Amino acid sequence: MAHKKIFLDYKRCIGCKACEVACEMTHGNARIKIFEFPDLFTVPFNCRHCEKAPCLNVCPTGALFRDEDGAVAFNPLSCIGCLMCAVACPFGVPKLDEENKIMEKCDLCADRRAEGLLPACVSACPTEALKFGEINEVLWDKEGKVVANLKSSAEKGEGEKALIVL
Amino acid sequence: MAEKLVPVVCPWCSVGCRFYAVSANGYIRRIEFDYDHPTIANRGKLCPKGVASYQFINSPQRLKKPLRRVGERGEGKFEEISWEEAYRIIASKIKEIKETYGPEAIAFLGSEKITLEENYLVHKLSKAIGTNHLDFPGRYCQYSNSPARIALFGTSAATNPFEDIAKAELVVFWGHNPAETAPVLFGQYIEKAILDNNAPLIVIDPRSTRGHKYASLHLKPYPGTDLAIALAMLNVVISEGLYDKDFVRERTTGFEGLKESVKDYTPEWAEKISGVPAEHIRKAARLIATKRTAFFVNEGVNQHINGLNTAIAIADLIAITGNIGKEGVWSGVIPGAQCGYCVAMTGVAPNKLPTGKLVTDEAAREELERLWGFPIPDWVGFDLTTMVREIGNKIRMMYIVGGNIAKSMPNSGWVREQLEKLDFLVVQDIFPTETAAYADVILPAAAWFEKTGTAISFERRVQRTYKAAEAPGEAKPDWLIIVELAKELGLGEYFKYSHPDEILREINKVIPVFKGATPEYLAEHLEGCFFPCSEPGEGTKVLFKTAFKTPDGKAHLQPVTWREPPETPDEEYPFWLTNFRLVGQWHTGSMTFESPSLKKRWPDEYVMINPKDAKKLGIKTGDLVKVSTRRGSVLVRAEVTEHIREGVIAMPFHWQVNFLTLDEINEKTKMAELKAVAAKVERVEE
Repeated sequence: MAHKKIFLDYKRCIGCKACEVACEMTHGNARIKIFEFPDLFTVPFNCRHCEKAPCLNVCPTGALFRDEDGAVAFNPLSCIGCLMCAVACPFGVPKLDEENKIMEKCDLCADRRAEGLLPACVSACPTEALKFGEINEVLWDKEGKVVANLKSSAEKGEGEKALIVL
Repeated sequence: MAEKLVPVVCPWCSVGCRFYAVSANGYIRRIEFDYDHPTIANRGKLCPKGVASYQFINSPQRLKKPLRRVGERGEGKFEEISWEEAYRIIASKIKEIKETYGPEAIAFLGSEKITLEENYLVHKLSKAIGTNHLDFPGRYCQYSNSPARIALFGTSAATNPFEDIAKAELVVFWGHNPAETAPVLFGQYIEKAILDNNAPLIVIDPRSTRGHKYASLHLKPYPGTDLAIALAMLNVVISEGLYDKDFVRERTTGFEGLKESVKDYTPEWAEKISGVPAEHIRKAARLIATKRTAFFVNEGVNQHINGLNTAIAIADLIAITGNIGKEGVWSGVIPGAQCGYCVAMTGVAPNKLPTGKLVTDEAAREELERLWGFPIPDWVGFDLTTMVREIGNKIRMMYIVGGNIAKSMPNSGWVREQLEKLDFLVVQDIFPTETAAYADVILPAAAWFEKTGTAISFERRVQRTYKAAEAPGEAKPDWLIIVELAKELGLGEYFKYSHPDEILREINKVIPVFKGATPEYLAEHLEGCFFPCSEPGEGTKVLFKTAFKTPDGKAHLQPVTWREPPETPDEEYPFWLTNFRLVGQWHTGSMTFESPSLKKRWPDEYVMINPKDAKKLGIKTGDLVKVSTRRGSVLVRAEVTEHIREGVIAMPFHWQVNFLTLDEINEKTKMAELKAVAAKVERVEE
């Protein structure tokens, strides 16, 4: 089965932080964060759930595992808080949960998925900057929209501008 | 006990988002998104305030018992009393003041934070006591655009459903920042027009706001000079012959008067006043005249003494460009609170009856007297600013339901001095607000999710929200407090309600536009109905398709002229000061400051200063500065940023800014000057 992921359509993001608050409501701490830049550019960022996840390879206790949707999830009872996962992660995603002395990171809301719900951040995101689904379907959908835009702009004689408005 | 999903309407802005409150044992544990009803306005989505909206309900700061003041006014010292005693004190005080000064010494405030049913009862109680001094804190919200649009179109309400916004060919944000103040509206409708359908966006705002990154054209007027731009746009559209000639001929009156009134307002004239290049004004006017346009006009236009003129000029522009009465356009008032319409539509105003007619209309009064069974006073009462001005003189007592005027009114220092002079103040609220500190009796109210009631969104959707939690301690819903107080006052026969459904059924009979919004219909249709909903199941999605709501069915174009803002920068106060909202805060913060997920992300106020201005003053980001106007001064951190134009400073309005704003009011609309005052900034040594 193809892997499901959260895709970041960052151009739609308005930095409202609904994702952070929804994540915090679900997990106690926000595991997704909006990064804001001085030019009003905002990027929501969470675990990439890498296909060749380095964190999975270095976890000494097997607390980190890949679940059936392809999420890099973790078993808190097995985690010893060594943060080798954080050492290996190229993004700095795994953080220390100081209260429980273990690592914490996005698990694509395993509990919500089990109930047939979307991850909380995706449910909330008012602009659909966060999209959840089988990753290639999400990407084909994006590609299709881009091509449709190119086509309609070309028909209006705005072929070159089309690349700018996308 | 198992968790229960209770359908509710969001308690913050007026987009009208729905979700479920997840309730267990009378407490709300969290919210869950409503993806079950595809035709609701928010399509499941929520902003950070919506997601966090269960938090303030559980705050330990909630009022739980009626309180009586034991210290000085404003000191905040109270003792707990029983409900019986509270009602007895209030009723005897009302009786005493009525006997000494007459009922016209008593003023009531309704609230945009309570339900439709509750506002209706506040109105009914004030009239039963015999006073028309009735208003609400939203006096400073839509009372520029609303009267302007009523003058032109007969009603100020949103012309089209939200889904039409995505079909617009051009979007204009005029003094509105929906990417921050209404993220769901922005993401689900406006962004779709801009990003998916390539509609250009024009932003008219002295700040670069969150939506600004999508703008094709950004006009940055000095605060309070938007009127000059609107006049110049009218001048361009008329002098260049770009107006919709068929529409003007067939559907409007007064075009010649309008044409004459704006003939000298060239873009070059407007450039001198507003600081916006004439070419940008021309370009924007030409786009508006040639494209199907969605207009979002809000507080940047409204909250000025000249806001009425600006709103009239914009409404004229909408009319002569034919951007109304069809699909794929949008304009209308945008109340800042989920129940702004609940107050306006129940006639909570000094001159209105709940039927929407005027208190001075004898036939309308008689009709209401037949329905209500008691005499209705025939005189026009005071608006909110005038009420406060008259405290200690004509006004001796105020009864404030769910409003924090000590913080939300302009010139807070003056407002607080006035509140000290009241003979008697009742505050009915869910938190001990800055205003409650001045009360003689505080009544603890149930919060939004602790009662059933009706809300109305700015899309004109009438929706029901249901009780999901028990109120803390002895707190009671506002409608029940009014019913019980009425009984103590000997007015019980007019207030025989044991459930909000009974009040809504009376509203169905009294207010014609809500005839079809019955408790039964709204329970079966959580997506609500669009008022006017005359019969169950009927609603009006697009207004003015064939006629306007004016007596002759035409849009009445209004001549309009330039009016100076009351204060402009000078040597002593060289900056324009304006203010804005943050996405994670709401109004005076009484609820958001008690929402931990919001408070930690949006913790403090600050003042935005352009780098060139900051350099001259030796101010850097993070410096403590004193911002002063002729009313007062506040200490605040500086944020040096290109996102504010030179000569203008701006602060979020949830904290102290109203110590600086001006309590002068427009003679017709009673709107104060909240968004453009002269100010100075000084660095403070720490």
